Amino acid sequence: MIFSRKSAVALAAILASTMALGACGTGADAGSSENGEVVLELWDTDTRPERTENLKTLISMFEAKNPGIKVNYLGLPTDSYMQKISTAIATKATPDIITPKASDISALVAQGALAPLDGDFKNGGWEDKISPAMTKSSRAAAPDGKLYLTPATSLADVIYYRSDLFKDAGLSAPTTWDDFYAAAQKLTDKQSGKFGYTFRGGSGFFSQFVEMVYPQAGVESVFRADGTSTLDDPAVVEAAEKYAALYGKDTAASDLTADFKTMVAQFGAGGAAMLSHSIGSYPNHVAALGADKVGAVVPFPAKSGKSVLTGRMTTGFSMFQASAHKEAAWKFLQYTMSVEGNSFWAQKSGYLPGNKEVAKESWVTQNPAMQASMTALENKDAVLLEQPYYLPEFNSITATEMLPEWQKVLQGQLSMKDFLTASAAKLTKAQQKYMKK
Amino acid sequence: MAVITPTRSVRAKHPAPSRRAGIKSLYPYFLIGPAAILTLVFLVYPVGSVFYYSLQHSNVTQPWNDGFAGLDNFIAMGADPLFWRSLAFTGQWVAVEVGLQFIFGLALALLINKTFIGRGIARALVFSPWAVSGILTTTIWILIYNPSTGIGRYFADIGIGEYGVSLLSGSGTTFWAVVLAEMWKGIPFFAILILADLQSVSLELYESADVDGAGTIRKFVSITWPHIRQAIIIATLLRAVWEFNNVDLLYTLTGGGPASSTTTLPLYVAQTAIHDRDFGYGSALTVVAFLILTFFSLVYLRITKSKEDDK
Repeated sequence: MIFSRKSAVALAAILASTMALGACGTGADAGSSENGEVVLELWDTDTRPERTENLKTLISMFEAKNPGIKVNYLGLPTDSYMQKISTAIATKATPDIITPKASDISALVAQGALAPLDGDFKNGGWEDKISPAMTKSSRAAAPDGKLYLTPATSLADVIYYRSDLFKDAGLSAPTTWDDFYAAAQKLTDKQSGKFGYTFRGGSGFFSQFVEMVYPQAGVESVFRADGTSTLDDPAVVEAAEKYAALYGKDTAASDLTADFKTMVAQFGAGGAAMLSHSIGSYPNHVAALGADKVGAVVPFPAKSGKSVLTGRMTTGFSMFQASAHKEAAWKFLQYTMSVEGNSFWAQKSGYLPGNKEVAKESWVTQNPAMQASMTALENKDAVLLEQPYYLPEFNSITATEMLPEWQKVLQGQLSMKDFLTASAAKLTKAQQKYMKK
Repeated sequence: MAVITPTRSVRAKHPAPSRRAGIKSLYPYFLIGPAAILTLVFLVYPVGSVFYYSLQHSNVTQPWNDGFAGLDNFIAMGADPLFWRSLAFTGQWVAVEVGLQFIFGLALALLINKTFIGRGIARALVFSPWAVSGILTTTIWILIYNPSTGIGRYFADIGIGEYGVSLLSGSGTTFWAVVLAEMWKGIPFFAILILADLQSVSLELYESADVDGAGTIRKFVSITWPHIRQAIIIATLLRAVWEFNNVDLLYTLTGGGPASSTTTLPLYVAQTAIHDRDFGYGSALTVVAFLILTFFSLVYLRITKSKEDDK
């Protein structure tokens, strides 16, 4: 075979260019376009179509107010966004802005990925304009107590009920735990596939568990002062046993594996008369059933009179530490807290607005789920229960370790007391380790 | 047989140490270069990094604990009930899936190998599940098992069973519900491979057997089985490895639940490494899965090879 020098050089060139092609496939954009415009990259971790549309509109509104800054939107798969973010952190290809959940903050801060916002937040006068409860909740999500997530909006737990079914059954809106259990029983008709309540036995069970058990028990914190978990508190165990007894009796047996989407679909299709979830799903229920058929109440006070409010989880925006355009990114974050941006975003998302002025607007006062959440705060005995999202082990304990055991409890293979005692030990270990640090 | 490398033969023929000869001697390496680089980048490096991380504490949520772990991750498995539960379930899953897929695949292959009207359509129908993507397969089965819109609802409408019951969340039904869904996709694989071999069997052999008065069973044992044996060995081995590594169907249908009852070892790896972001322990679990698969594959091939040699 004849093999000339020219051929060898050509072959080497092809190989080299192939490798070069491979090498140029990645790498973050410097973030500036040719005309000097600053380009921000925003990654969203929740890609429900209606949310995506609203976020893109919010971006357009911001761009119209801030010529010279362009925001590129990228939606990440809701089920696996942390994989993409972890890869981006490892390869130093993070965007400028992200919309993490409060439960993700601990892991992101542990990797040094997020920029603290305390200085800008204070200098911008936002401490006076934003709800102090939301700011406190946002800071509580971080292991070092700093502000990494703008307190733009917040969720809150409510119990939704089908007001038409309640009326037909001669029931009024529940105001006590006894009312709730009585209604669940009365509205269950297994023969026709109608159940009084839909139970979250599957993914994300812990948030519903906390929403329904802690207020009933009147226990206001997941931990005692010494770092031991209150999961094994006798009042919590008693309330949990009563709550879990609903499963299979006044709920569908298939709720053993039900997640958020399954519950919302069941409530929307008329299969369940009550549902525990955050205010964020109110627009979905209205779209499925109509506003006249959806009522909402906050979880009721305990027998002691204490009102424990749960699910007050901040949902905002964060800035990556590695952002090359922190000033422009902060402008966007501020816009989401401003009257104009906050009003649009909170209303469209169904979230409680962080901006105090926006909270007075009619769309807040006329939304029953929001109204119930706001009114509950006026109770002088009301206390906010913060979940320990700052614990690095929180997700793995509550999801990977506790979920299978919880399902065993529902199946009758494990006692509630044993389940809560073992789970309390795990949370206690994590909390005491955190306290020592 | 001695192996002569191209480099040596070129040198022997053109011993002059000219620059041209030097470049020429590199020619084979240029040819294998791209494949070698791709293999290194996409196979050797990832596998090597898994072995490396299995000896490390590497948890994204607790980077302050990262560092050399020695055999800590492997020792921790001994006291991890989820590991042993997932390992036991993986064994049960592979045995039941491969066994049932083989039996039904063989039966289907024998059936559609016969001559009958509409055989072409029957073959297309039998093979069609294999052509459906994994996510579509799960979506189909999620809809079938959905308590509100699926088959359970229709049974309840006619008085069989209760409303609000899903086969995927019943303590005694979940396993068989996922087995059925996976069989639907796996049976065509066996049927395709076995049918391909069946069609190479000479009809004259069967005619001769008929002349000798052999019955159906005798013909299957003495003619059909020896012909398809190799295909079955390959098919069962491949299928066992794939079923062992099955994540997509179980993850999307049950998420490994309820109560971890359908968590295979690879699914547990996914939960540990991806959800909990504990790459050290997740890598150690992967190494164990890798060693188990390698061991059983070698034993299986050894056994089947010895039986072949005995013949």
